[in-house]
Amino acid sequence: MRRLKPILLYVLSACLIIFISITPASSQIREIRIGDSRGDWGYPNPFRHYPRGPGYIRMSWVFDTLIWKDQNGYIPALAQSWSFDEESLCFIFKLNQEARWHDNTPLTSEDVVFTIEYFKKHPYRWITIDHIDRASAEGLYSVRIYLSKPYSAFIPDIGGTMPIIPKHIWESVETPETYNDPKAFTGSGPYVFRDFNKAKGIYLYEAFTDYYQGRPKADRLIYIRSGKPMISLQTGEVAIANIKPNMAASLKEKGMIVIKDERGWNKKLMINHKKPPFNNRNFRHAMAYAINRQEIIDKSHLGFGTPASCGLLSIDHEMYNPETPSYPHDARKAVKIIESLGYTRGDDGYFEKDGRPLTVELLSSDITVAGERVADRDGEVIKKQLEHIGISMNLVNMEQATTDSRVKNWEFDIAISGHGGISGDPRILNEMISSRYGAGSVNSARYDINPELNRLMEAQMLEMDQQKRKKIVYRIQELYAVDLPAISLYYPDSMAAYNPARGICWFYTKGGISKGIPIPQNKMSLIK
Amino acid sequence: MKDGHYIKLTAVYFFAGLVMIYASYILPKWLPGDFVTAMYSDSNVTLTVEQEAQIRACCTGKEGLSRYLINLLSLKWGYSYALLTPVSDLILEALPWTLLLFGGAHAASMLLGFIFGVEAAWRRGGWVEKISVGCMTIIEGVPEICTGVVLLIIFALFLGWFPASGGETAYAVQSTVNRILDVGHHLVLPLVTLVLAYFPGNFLLTRGSMVMVLKEQFVQTARAKGLPPARVRYAHAARNALLPMFTRFGLRIAFMVTGVLVVETIYSYPGMGTLLFKAIGVRDLPLIQGIVLFSSLAVLFVNLAMEFLYGMIDPRVRYAH
Repeated sequence: MRRLKPILLYVLSACLIIFISITPASSQIREIRIGDSRGDWGYPNPFRHYPRGPGYIRMSWVFDTLIWKDQNGYIPALAQSWSFDEESLCFIFKLNQEARWHDNTPLTSEDVVFTIEYFKKHPYRWITIDHIDRASAEGLYSVRIYLSKPYSAFIPDIGGTMPIIPKHIWESVETPETYNDPKAFTGSGPYVFRDFNKAKGIYLYEAFTDYYQGRPKADRLIYIRSGKPMISLQTGEVAIANIKPNMAASLKEKGMIVIKDERGWNKKLMINHKKPPFNNRNFRHAMAYAINRQEIIDKSHLGFGTPASCGLLSIDHEMYNPETPSYPHDARKAVKIIESLGYTRGDDGYFEKDGRPLTVELLSSDITVAGERVADRDGEVIKKQLEHIGISMNLVNMEQATTDSRVKNWEFDIAISGHGGISGDPRILNEMISSRYGAGSVNSARYDINPELNRLMEAQMLEMDQQKRKKIVYRIQELYAVDLPAISLYYPDSMAAYNPARGICWFYTKGGISKGIPIPQNKMSLIK
Repeated sequence: MKDGHYIKLTAVYFFAGLVMIYASYILPKWLPGDFVTAMYSDSNVTLTVEQEAQIRACCTGKEGLSRYLINLLSLKWGYSYALLTPVSDLILEALPWTLLLFGGAHAASMLLGFIFGVEAAWRRGGWVEKISVGCMTIIEGVPEICTGVVLLIIFALFLGWFPASGGETAYAVQSTVNRILDVGHHLVLPLVTLVLAYFPGNFLLTRGSMVMVLKEQFVQTARAKGLPPARVRYAHAARNALLPMFTRFGLRIAFMVTGVLVVETIYSYPGMGTLLFKAIGVRDLPLIQGIVLFSSLAVLFVNLAMEFLYGMIDPRVRYAH
């Protein structure tokens, strides 16, 4: 018996090992942690999140839209299918019958109709609902949305951005901005919102096990604030983080997967085209020729970036016009243009006219990119380039809110600015050119004096045929580049890295999430 | 002790408090820019003129001074524009973390600075004193941002001994004891960074005061009486060198919010500094006013309390009045 004991123990151990090895390992991930340097982006519901990409992303885990995007484009979400009836100017959405609210109430067409009606009374500022005449439910799972006039951005705007809210909760809420009940976070998305600690800048979400697209891969989703997200990524505190492009190689060596976004964000030079000499188109052309964009990229960003098209949209956009006029660096040409405007060199080598020196003030500040504040030396490089052709420059570095305020009030000459959204719907052109569409944005040139441009911007919003719209968008880019009310400088390389060992494959969304948010935190990464 | 002196002192502080209240009301309003521009103008949302006017109508801080005072007296500190949450709630969420980090660093650096300063002065002229004074002078000149980043890279990134961010592991499911240990684990690097920033100043101040005190006749008398050296140092000499340290303690309270901002930012440590920094970034006027008022009143309160404590620590102050 004594001899048998070790043999029995050995056999039992072997059986145990075999049993463990053949038992299928659970693929469910306990939790995923994501970090960014700011942390707080508002409460994750449509009325309380910050009007920035990270705020929308935090809301998107809780509230689903009718359709969504993945790496390749639009995919079904709450709507299984959708179509457009041109004659009646009506979009028809067939809803997924499995969809449930987080309190397990079925999501029906009444909720979609209610959402539109509610947003008419209490606008959700990410979308424009003015073009919608009415919405009606056809049975429990079909919705017809009638337009009062054609609206080409309907799918990205209403279909892909508008969060659907539950009628049974919001119908009695009169002031949604101050509605603070836990029910305000009842959505139909893959995660249930549990907590937001404002002092710590952390969020907790838990998987909605009855999610209609299947149980999410991770049981808990946690956002943390990290002053140095790249360090937190390497120490394993977070699963994914935005990285500086020059760190990509070393992170790859450490087993991280590095992903790169399309060119959906641009740095640009805002010009006060309402005051002389900037109100002269030729002077703006001279500045464009004087600026060497590749030099900015090389000196300020270690070469990680691409010179931008003066038509705003990048080559990655399906409506990018390759024939858009460009202004390759040519200092001599810039000098000639300025001389043709009556300027002469003074004793100090700088241009002057009627005894008054040509002095330009350049405002510069650290710009926020995808939720991270990025410091660079763009201002110094541009200052030297413009001084080189004979413009006396005064570089003023200020905090971003102060710069924004001065630009907003037209109290500036030129200012460095930047924005994303340029890989999304070409409506961005209207917002970044015209004050009719972009009055509230400091990134908008607010340039309204070209009648053809104004007409084309109206036309592109009314053109439902994408091929015809493409031609209009082509022409808008040409006219914008010729008039040059603002100069797009470059598209910086935008990268993120994640640890594949955590079991999640993160990706940048084609055209950006929603209206073009360049953040690789698409909820489809966590859906099986 | 004359009660009249303390009544006058309290009246002066009360007047200073009124000035602080007015300053907290008016100064944030002088910041260039406003909430709507800071929050929306370069956001993903492009407001129309009407939408902008609508938001501006409720977020422009047009509240008059009288309404501001009435609200303060009725403990209504307003709502944060950005977070749509009562300002008092936000301050109360952040305050314990600031007290833990700043208070801990302040107390530790005071204690260490005092003990090492006394010991260095006692050994005046020796190599220990010379080296320690030299080192402390150098460390005093190193900014917190430099120390913080170096410690972060060495102990968080390379060695992995301490976490790189946060005040505790967010939403960790753990027992109370483990939570306390976790908070302590997260506190080490930011605390050491601040201690390294505050300790040299305390050391040099104590040493300087102690060197002067050691020349006094009562110390010579204590030595001549054959008292143990430790008793001479601490019971007789060091007690008289304590007052400058005490004054420094009160003055440093003024840096409770801004002084820890750099460290809070590097380690993403929650606290009042970060809260104020973000509020200024989006021109969240009620929150800025609340934090400025709270911190300035805290400074006044601590300094007033210290005026009373001076007399207890050093009877000469009491007799002088």
